[in-house]
Amino acid sequence: MTLLQRIKDLVRSRSIHVSYVDVGSCNGCDIEILACLAPRYDIEQYGIYVHNNPREADVLLVVGAFTLGWEEKLKMVWDKIPEPKAAIAIGNCPISGGVFDRRGSYVDPPVSKHIPIAAEVPGCPPRPTEILSAILSIRDTVFAGWEVKQR
Amino acid sequence: MAASVFWYLREFARFEWVQKFLFAKTAPLMTPAHFRGFPEPTGKPCMHALYCMMVCPAPGAIEVIHREDGWVPRIQKGHCIRCGLCVEACPNGVLTSGRVLETVGEQMTSLVFSFRIAIDRDRCMGCGNCCTACPVNKIADAQMGSGGHSSNDDVIMRVQGGDVQVLHEEKCTGCKTCEQSCPNDAIRIARILEATQQPVPVPAELTEDGQ
Amino acid sequence: MKRTVDVNIPLGPIHPCFKEPARLKCETRGERVIGAEVELGYMKKGIERIMKGRPWQEVMFLAERVCGICSVIHNMVFIEAIEKISGIEVPPRAALLRVIANELDRMQSHMLANFSYCYTIEHETLAMYLLDIREQVMDELERLTGARVTCAYIVPGGVRCDIRNEDRDTLSASLDRIEHDLHRYAKMFETGPMIALRSKGIGILTEESALQAHVVGPTARASGIAVDMRTNHPTYRKLNFAPVVRHGCDNYARVMVRFDELSASIGLIRQSLRALSPGVIRGGGICKAGTLRYSGEAPRGELTYSITTDEYGRVAEIQIQTPSIMNIEACCHYMIIGVDSIADVTSAFVSADPCIACTER
Repeated sequence: MTLLQRIKDLVRSRSIHVSYVDVGSCNGCDIEILACLAPRYDIEQYGIYVHNNPREADVLLVVGAFTLGWEEKLKMVWDKIPEPKAAIAIGNCPISGGVFDRRGSYVDPPVSKHIPIAAEVPGCPPRPTEILSAILSIRDTVFAGWEVKQR
Repeated sequence: MAASVFWYLREFARFEWVQKFLFAKTAPLMTPAHFRGFPEPTGKPCMHALYCMMVCPAPGAIEVIHREDGWVPRIQKGHCIRCGLCVEACPNGVLTSGRVLETVGEQMTSLVFSFRIAIDRDRCMGCGNCCTACPVNKIADAQMGSGGHSSNDDVIMRVQGGDVQVLHEEKCTGCKTCEQSCPNDAIRIARILEATQQPVPVPAELTEDGQ
Repeated sequence: MKRTVDVNIPLGPIHPCFKEPARLKCETRGERVIGAEVELGYMKKGIERIMKGRPWQEVMFLAERVCGICSVIHNMVFIEAIEKISGIEVPPRAALLRVIANELDRMQSHMLANFSYCYTIEHETLAMYLLDIREQVMDELERLTGARVTCAYIVPGGVRCDIRNEDRDTLSASLDRIEHDLHRYAKMFETGPMIALRSKGIGILTEESALQAHVVGPTARASGIAVDMRTNHPTYRKLNFAPVVRHGCDNYARVMVRFDELSASIGLIRQSLRALSPGVIRGGGICKAGTLRYSGEAPRGELTYSITTDEYGRVAEIQIQTPSIMNIEACCHYMIIGVDSIADVTSAFVSADPCIACTER
């Protein structure tokens, strides 16, 4: 691995832009992601910047049980994110449908049917520390040596 | 505009702010002990009452499986919503989660199950599948035939006159095996849950003090 | 008649200011918004459909997950409706503990709403301050109930667990600290010159249009309508409670109503803590058949559950009316009409504190 590649990896893992998309959650996981911004957890000290623009993002946080309204739209959002990218499923809903996965509901879990998911954070909702450690756990592996993998 | 600049300067020149800016560190991000996390086994033996599975509100979150040394409850992460009802409903204290088990012991709270059998007379065909499938019936009358007929009065239910008759509703364990075996959705088991507490003895000095 | 419209600007469904997917189409002439249309339907999960035929121990958790931000009040309204149907009495200690949990939940919801507003008008300092004290409220909620967001605290006939004596002291100490900080932040919002430029006189919802749009909650109380379902609640009646009303009708008034309600909530929690008498926290009781329409005051306004249960206490029919739908309609038809720039559309929309998850369920 060249020195340039190492510098690129280091920089990438220390500056992550996060976008989140809500595909039909109850807002519980949303506010736990928002709580990560709080001075107590302070997600920006790790170089993670949360905003809501997929075109600038590296990591997509998927929240919610995938309602039918998102059938084609989630793929569109995922395609807009520039490479290298990763998606994290936050909460029970994108993993299994949670309490909504019953006969008669309008949800279509899991989200991994539609976009590739790199990490899953179980919990209904997960604590902010769990979300934080999930983002931190993938940042060194997913983005490492991306140019090498491309070749 | 000048007022605004002055306002911000005053805000940042506060002693508290300067102190925090210089000395504050990120708090250790510990999960507090009172947080209701995923249920963990306490080591007590599971007696296969299955109340945890009956009370669980999330589909597929808990199942009791058989290992070499007995029954063990297993939590599925990704399905479990960490509500702690299984901890509260378990009569033997097999699981623990946060402070739930502790408070249940201290405050004598309990979740009491009762089961009712409801048979839709318009739908029931009297096939007797529910009577033969019922595990309590199997113990009460091992000779029960495929028609669900029995001369034993100890069975929960039996087919009498082309219809299912419930004899001993109180013996039902709420397993819902009959529901699954019914071809016509005629039988439904209602799992009725009651949240109760034995009264806390009021300290003597409080009762005398003019309550 | 054909209308000429300069540009039709869509906001959303994924927008940096909106926390949830909603699409807002604004018809503009120049920078001035002359009409707007809201498009929902990204979050429909069919919760009411899957609630049918289930006993309370399952519906309770589904009701909590109608809205994760105000989960305690959904739990409380559903359980109190079931209790009213079945004639279950609640012990006085449990009723007061419910008020404490509910007011803590209202505090964190209002702080989050005010955080969103401050974040939208790019006043991040105040936003982060509010988020910081919200964490302290969440700590207290966690210490009382055992979970941060979906607490599952209220069950028919009482509550899940009692408050401990040491937790009572921590709660009162923490309330003092929160009140001290909150007072300063409310003052900052009240006197901040930049905040006033972005908030005063923007997103006007007059009293007549508020009545026409059937707005509820802080949005209605900021337009001078004294409506609060807590005044009908038996436990709140014993406490000294009066709704907070302002007559500003703009973004500023709506956010200030929430700041005032935060102080009112702290007062209510203190009164409840003082009134707590020893006793049982669960009365027991089995759910019975019946039909009832029952309302409670969610952080965003009036929340109504219309429930029919069968003889075994299972929910046969249920309809939920959540507050946000009226507020979103009022926002689109009155508040953002005639604002001077597109930047004010998002701030007016966020000041009404819309919750898309409970609107669509």
